[in-house]
Amino acid sequence: MSENKVLQVPYGTKDLLPGEAGAKRKMEDNLATNFSQWGYAEVQTPTFEYLDTFALGGSGITEESMKFLDRNNRTLVLRSDMTTPLARMVATRMGDEKDIKRLFYIANIFRYEQTQAGRQCEFSQAGVELMGTPEPMADAEVLALAVASLQTAGLDKFKISVGHIGFLAGLMEEVNLTGQEKEKIKQLVLEHNAVDLENYVNTLSIDEKLKGVLGRLLFLQDGQDMLKKLQKNVHNEKSYKALENLLQIFAFAKAYGVSKYLSFDLSLIRNFDYYTGMVFEAYTPDMGFNICGGGRYDTMMSSFGKDCPATGFAMGIDRIILALQREENFSSKADWDVFVAWEAGFAQAAIKKAMELRAKGKKVKIAFSSMNEMEAEQNTLENNCTSLVYIR
Amino acid sequence: MPYLTIALPKGKLFAKSVELLAKVGYSADNVVEDSRKLVITNEASKVKFIIVKTMDLPTYVEYGAADIGIIGKDVLLEEKKDIYELLDMKYGKCRLMVAVPKAKKRAKLTDYAHLRVATKYPNCASEFFNKAGMQMTIIKLNGSIELAPIVGLSEMIVDIVETGTTLKENNLEEIAVVQPATARLIANKVSFKLQFNRIKKLVEDLQKVMVEENIK
Repeated sequence: MSENKVLQVPYGTKDLLPGEAGAKRKMEDNLATNFSQWGYAEVQTPTFEYLDTFALGGSGITEESMKFLDRNNRTLVLRSDMTTPLARMVATRMGDEKDIKRLFYIANIFRYEQTQAGRQCEFSQAGVELMGTPEPMADAEVLALAVASLQTAGLDKFKISVGHIGFLAGLMEEVNLTGQEKEKIKQLVLEHNAVDLENYVNTLSIDEKLKGVLGRLLFLQDGQDMLKKLQKNVHNEKSYKALENLLQIFAFAKAYGVSKYLSFDLSLIRNFDYYTGMVFEAYTPDMGFNICGGGRYDTMMSSFGKDCPATGFAMGIDRIILALQREENFSSKADWDVFVAWEAGFAQAAIKKAMELRAKGKKVKIAFSSMNEMEAEQNTLENNCTSLVYIR
Repeated sequence: MPYLTIALPKGKLFAKSVELLAKVGYSADNVVEDSRKLVITNEASKVKFIIVKTMDLPTYVEYGAADIGIIGKDVLLEEKKDIYELLDMKYGKCRLMVAVPKAKKRAKLTDYAHLRVATKYPNCASEFFNKAGMQMTIIKLNGSIELAPIVGLSEMIVDIVETGTTLKENNLEEIAVVQPATARLIANKVSFKLQFNRIKKLVEDLQKVMVEENIK
């Protein structure tokens, strides 16, 4: 083998070295504890599923999905999100649709895409799904849990934007746009293209007042007063109800003590076709991408044969770690409590001592050869141990 | 108040962008194109300027290394980054077009099928020819695109022109417009939310200045 040949890993994947992996595990443990404090139970689904499942789920099969064939030539796909597999699992395995289910997961997700900050082709997500209730109080719980989870992860300067799919949908229905016109507007909103959106809306033959709202949608960001003001100006039931729903959710969020993190953005529709109600994203300074996102998806379960309203969110663990590192708020140094070294002939005694210390809950490393005390002190430092126990 | 970092593009949009931003209160000492300082800070008004190559500018903004930036629509179309496009600033008018050597002009666009195209804009060029149902060989270059047909590297070019003088000088003739373009104000997705009021005011102030200066 030639000297400069280094084995590569595939595009978009990476190793987590000692320290990094430990710090990530710790964060995941903390998140899991937090989720269970809110009454959520952990579930796991297969890493890969039939393509049909994802196609049914409505998250869409795109060129981003990593596909391969099983031995019967059925197409499999590495899970490209967790909401679809969970909906599939609940619909097929978990009984009565009227029961309320609170579930959480911590899992790796796979998507072929241009790698971004904290988003490789394989990346990990922690998230929850709350199924079986359409109540605004449930959406507020999910929002409040998102806040608590980001705090648990160690972030505090984040902000959450909340929107509602129904607002834009109602506006477009009110003016009887064709399917093509609706798609065009949705596309421009998703692309955050305020220039072309305004130009396009101005070409439509619709009410001037509505042009002002629809064309300037990307600038509809503010507190709850904006919602109340808009309620007076919209004349279709769907948009009105969407605003009402957001106000109800906000009132519960106040009770949870998380309203200070929230603001509203009515252009937020997220790039999934399956959302039907409230949607949200969380942002933190120094990170150009959202760190958490979710919302209500009441119709997806029906594609799996169960009519069941649901809401939830997922947070990007790698992105959160990156944000914490940028705030210099994240230590990925592995360290141990005790280094046990020994003088020649005391190996057995050293093993005994190490086991005693471990039983007391200490993190212990032991030397495999005898050394003098000075060497032992040097080794203690090199092994990232806080203290030395020298047996002689 | 956090800093607002503004990315400015080197090249033809630079001077006008600095001038307009200064008019709405966003300025700093020595914001010049060949600045030796990489980051120019105005502590009093909490603004930072960075000056970057045009093709890189959308990337800086997408990643949030800059909160906002000014860049030509041609670059946005080519780079397709996930950013907010907030305002058409109307200056820097130009167009992305297809040109061929005058002597080799053919009757219609599809007569050029299967030829080689030199361009700085491979994505825009592919998209344009695909829509026209033409299969072309795209050759990516980083500058002096007009040279390619002269020395036989390609039969045609896709490039940006303002007046067309360079085309004439090199005996090239425009045969189709791909897309007209002007300068755009863009913003990072997260910055636009976290600094919404400041950026919204900047957009409104720029709109006012454009009306006053009669930029159409």
